[in-house]
Amino acid sequence: MAGGPGDAPDRSHRPFDAGLQPERTALAWRRMALAVAVGSLAALRILPEVLGLWALVPAALGAAVSLVALIVSQRRYRRIHTILTTSDSDRVALSGGALPAALAVATVAGGIMALAAAVQLGQRITY
Amino acid sequence: MTAHEEGPDTSSTGREAPGGPAPAPAGTDTGTGPRATPAADEPDRSRRRISAWALGGGTEPDPRFTLANERTFLAWIRTSLAMVAGGIAVEAFTLELFTPEVRKTVAVLLLLLGLVTGGGSFFRWLNVERAMRRQAPLPLPLIAPILAAGGALVAAVLIVFVIWRPA
Repeated sequence: MAGGPGDAPDRSHRPFDAGLQPERTALAWRRMALAVAVGSLAALRILPEVLGLWALVPAALGAAVSLVALIVSQRRYRRIHTILTTSDSDRVALSGGALPAALAVATVAGGIMALAAAVQLGQRITY
Repeated sequence: MTAHEEGPDTSSTGREAPGGPAPAPAGTDTGTGPRATPAADEPDRSRRRISAWALGGGTEPDPRFTLANERTFLAWIRTSLAMVAGGIAVEAFTLELFTPEVRKTVAVLLLLLGLVTGGGSFFRWLNVERAMRRQAPLPLPLIAPILAAGGALVAAVLIVFVIWRPA
């Protein structure tokens, strides 16, 4: 995939590879952001029974995570595309792990909140 | 798994500059290598050291594999989100269907599955990334049997409930 040293300008106008790996990854990020957004809407529908107005907090957090992930992943796609299509080597540093780590932490935090809400919900209903 | 044993390029931290020359052994330190695009690199300077430590040396894998690993991670995250949403939905919307014990058991199981798959997906991503950087065989996914066993457990609880259901 590494071209000659002088032909950098042309490659940035077309995808990095025929398999469209960066594009598919960008779409996977969008699916994930969409899932988070849908989950936030569901939380807004369900949680007010237990939390009252406080249900806005997890819903807003979810919406923020979704929006930030969308923006960050879009910028990340642009950056990856630029790196891959302009560098002489295709063995370049792409992912340092901060983004997956942050996303995993956010998901676990959301899961813990959901667990707490479910326990509360059960107590509210079963007495 | 510090993994500095194999590969011809183990002295480098593996984080070469994006525009830099091809496979150059890239100095010995993160701060002294040539930087082709300093503007894009500046915000990364602090996390670069953590990343280099977490990724455990080795050489950069084919970017297509790194991106595929990232997509698999995102698929696990979506699985986790689905489990969490399912757990909440069971807890909230099955009042007439389930007894309180069954409802609570299924909801907590689903939520715990969501927690484990969500948290485990990052370590899965990291282990695969590290293996690829060392040209080592990919590790087996621990979260896959956990997800399978957890799903089977949920199904088993529901089967027992359906059989014993007071009709």
